[in-house]
Amino acid sequence: MSLDLQRILASKRALRRELAALPVAEKLRLLDELRERELTIRRSARPPTSNVVREHSARYPAKGT
Amino acid sequence: MKIKEVIAVINLMQADGVIECYAIGGAVGATFYLEPVATLDVDIFVSFRTEPGKLIVDPQRMFDYLTSHGHSLKGEYVMIADWPVQFLPPTSPLVEEALREAVTVDVEGQPARVFTAEHLAAIALQTGRAKDKARLLQFVQAGALDAMRFETILTGHNLLDRWRKFEQQFLSDTP
Repeated sequence: MSLDLQRILASKRALRRELAALPVAEKLRLLDELRERELTIRRSARPPTSNVVREHSARYPAKGT
Repeated sequence: MKIKEVIAVINLMQADGVIECYAIGGAVGATFYLEPVATLDVDIFVSFRTEPGKLIVDPQRMFDYLTSHGHSLKGEYVMIADWPVQFLPPTSPLVEEALREAVTVDVEGQPARVFTAEHLAAIALQTGRAKDKARLLQFVQAGALDAMRFETILTGHNLLDRWRKFEQQFLSDTP
């Protein structure tokens, strides 16, 4: 354990590689868990006000565009 | 695993002839190649067989099938195994190609059809929202893309200029 930023970033990259290398079924299981956590966080967060900056872009482009 | 239940339902829909073929896209599709990232829904791209005498595809049969199998509709989503699932028609030649060239991956004995990494990345580039750019960056950083295949797709769908811009913005040391 250290507070060396380079080592911290390197360990983050290593963790991402490890997670990416997990069997697909295991990663899909993690998606179930991540969604549960995300919903819990959203439920406990303040409701957004109308006066916030938002991204405006089409979800998927229409055919021929 | 709930996602596996979703995949089982989609496979059954295909076996029952409700859809012609499908492929998982979006964040769930990306998870087949990258580290898992939290997402709230599942994007399933589907194609249908056109019925004789009809030029326009009617997805109503699919929704009727799903509700008759106990799945509820919630806005634009179908709730399957607690996951909101969105069924999307291919909306561009790129997505049509991605659907045709999707690959089958084994998930604990069950087949799951998923877009290739290169198509997921190209679709992210074409869609272009902030989270799509972040996903594209993940694909690049993870070394998950075959350079030749990716470039072929970009060339075929006039996305090379957009890719150069992306490279300059996110993958270049010089601003």
